Amino acid sequence: MLDAADFQHAFGTMLASPDPSNDPAMRRALAVHRNTASKAARDALFANYPVTAAMVGEEAFAACATSYIEAVPPREARLCLYGDRFGPFVDAWTPFAEAPYLGPVAMLERNVTEALFAADRPPLDAAALSRGIDPEAPLHWHPATRIAKALMPAASLWLAHQPDAPPDALDAIAWDREIILVTRPSDAVEVRVIDGPTRAFLAGKTLAEAAANASSEGGDVASTFALLLSAGAFAEDIPRGE
Amino acid sequence: MIMTAGLGFKLEHLDEALTARNPGLWFEVHAENYMVDGGPRLRALVALAERFAISLHGVGLSLASVEPPAEDHLRRLRALADLIRPAAISDHLAWQKWEGAHHSDFLPFPRTRQALDITAGNVARVQDALGRTIMVENPSLYIDLPGHELDEATFLSELARRTGCGLLVDVNNIFVSAANLRFSPEVRLDAIPASIIGEVHLAGHRPDPDPDSGLLIDSHDAPVSDPVWLLYQRLIDRVGPRPTLIERDDEMPPFQDLMLERDRAHRLLEQRMSIDA
Repeated sequence: MLDAADFQHAFGTMLASPDPSNDPAMRRALAVHRNTASKAARDALFANYPVTAAMVGEEAFAACATSYIEAVPPREARLCLYGDRFGPFVDAWTPFAEAPYLGPVAMLERNVTEALFAADRPPLDAAALSRGIDPEAPLHWHPATRIAKALMPAASLWLAHQPDAPPDALDAIAWDREIILVTRPSDAVEVRVIDGPTRAFLAGKTLAEAAANASSEGGDVASTFALLLSAGAFAEDIPRGE
Repeated sequence: MIMTAGLGFKLEHLDEALTARNPGLWFEVHAENYMVDGGPRLRALVALAERFAISLHGVGLSLASVEPPAEDHLRRLRALADLIRPAAISDHLAWQKWEGAHHSDFLPFPRTRQALDITAGNVARVQDALGRTIMVENPSLYIDLPGHELDEATFLSELARRTGCGLLVDVNNIFVSAANLRFSPEVRLDAIPASIIGEVHLAGHRPDPDPDSGLLIDSHDAPVSDPVWLLYQRLIDRVGPRPTLIERDDEMPPFQDLMLERDRAHRLLEQRMSIDA
């Protein structure tokens, strides 16, 4: 009897090796299984990195994606979350060396994917504020909230590739580093560039600390807080232990 | 509401799906696409589930793997099932996990008695974790492996007898496997006991783009072919009506085109029901 573990080891080894079998029927079958899995993973990367793909074109993206899939194959079945290390891979991909903004854009797209599938929590909004907020109570980020620092204008590039972007969005980009806030206030993920005081506000563990942080960097506390509330950056305070 | 013919759900079809009023319509999703913490995609499925029966079709349980299903995968599937309250949960008679990697396709294995023990153990683990039975689907086969001790129908029947699981008969997979392994699809189809069939899948296939291969690929990127419709008619003539899904995962046509295929299956099921009535 062919032991199941031995078979799966042998078949898995053949799938992973480039020239696996002398039997033409086995070679054809392995090619089908390899292509199907590779296509599924590649489709997932196209879906999860649409702006990066649009910026480099389908062929160049597919080449990079195929190489990534060989280097970092999926570890689990949820391909909607596949590609957590693709950003740094794009950054280091030699054919993209002339376009150093691609890595930062891809890294931002990973934040967008994470934000898209993060847990639901009621955002802290103006209505919640009107019920009163203790300045010394913990200030919680919404589960979707992400902050990124990019040496390139990754957020501006990402925004310029959205369907609602103005036609001159690409030309209007100031080629500078950006602090980027990613949030999900409702059904859509939002990406925006924020300033230093706003980032300092977000680092506060309480409202009082957040206000002090922003103020010490010269920020206007009220407008900073209003911006972050409208972005849905914070979650309503829910007792821990859920 | 009786489930007749359903459609694989795609997020881009949400608005049209929510307003569809076709009798017997239901939807199936790949469970893994929704096994996430939250967000708009999960909310869309919740909205769909308020209107329609939903089937959660897994592509990642790796039921024939020598390693058991991952605990966190089972926990997430259970959480999704508790949220959606699906009419059915299913996955494939295949394996995908190997040395920590997940191979996103349905890999074959010799149908030995040992493999049956392993698969039955995995199905039982899944069913224990979910607190309900699942259905197991026959995969598309691309090679006639040596070492089989049981034919596919016997393997699946025995799996159903041991675990109480049902069978999801993918008619296109039988057609594709029969072409690739050179057996009669009619004989294979007729061997499946009616009593364990809980759902039917219909999908499109195409020839392998590699001209030297000669294989048919279960590509889900084309309409259901005429010979598959004929096999389907043969199946329901014998076993009676079963909830039937039109699967399409690639080269997506407009929702209304998919609904035409779905309505064709619905009419065949209605005709079959009128014979029983």
